[in-house]
Amino acid sequence: MTDREPERRVPDAESSEEAPAVEQPTHSPEGVDLTLIRWMLSLTPEERLQVLQSNVESLLRLRRDPTEG
Amino acid sequence: MTPPKADFLAILTTLSAHKVDFIIVGGIAAALQGAPIATFDLDLVHSRTSLNLERLLAALRELEAFYRGQRARKIEPTAGQLASPGPHLLLTVHGPLDLHGTIGAGRDYDLLLKSVDDVSVRARRFQVLGLSMLIESKEEAGREKDRAVLPILRRTLEERRKQ
Repeated sequence: MTDREPERRVPDAESSEEAPAVEQPTHSPEGVDLTLIRWMLSLTPEERLQVLQSNVESLLRLRRDPTEG
Repeated sequence: MTPPKADFLAILTTLSAHKVDFIIVGGIAAALQGAPIATFDLDLVHSRTSLNLERLLAALRELEAFYRGQRARKIEPTAGQLASPGPHLLLTVHGPLDLHGTIGAGRDYDLLLKSVDDVSVRARRFQVLGLSMLIESKEEAGREKDRAVLPILRRTLEERRKQ
């Protein structure tokens, strides 16, 4: 036993934040994440290239040192 | 050996500075048009006229390009090799670069030219293979790795058409 107070769970009725209502489907029937496509389409070509490049760099960093934070 | 830091734009800029005629294809073409896919190399289809091959070789020398997968040997591409359908899997100071004489069912630079979009990046214009033709060429290639990305490419095309 500890003296720590048990965590109080917020009753659902008191919760002020809810997941946003889904206006458009998030996935295609074959499982493609449509939210990612819409996000990519909202970027300029230069920004898309930057996203791709930073993803590659992140993966390479992870492969070099998986413990790196 | 530390791998070169990937800088796709630096490769493209060097090729443009040497006035090389090329079309961006593959994963980078898809990503530039909004497809959320990852790729580690830059795929290009180059024109195989003798003048363009000369320009391409000069650009590749500046990029210190050599064939990947040759262990310690650094074999630089020649004009004769680059005149073939390829692919030529190279490593440059700015990361991997795959050069193709043709893609899909033997589609070369001149054939693909009808299906390119001009994409502007940092005030430079690049010829990028349109998503419809990119999908078609991957269907023609029929390899497992090509088929794997087809659902994403098709959905990206659909979403673009809705916009």
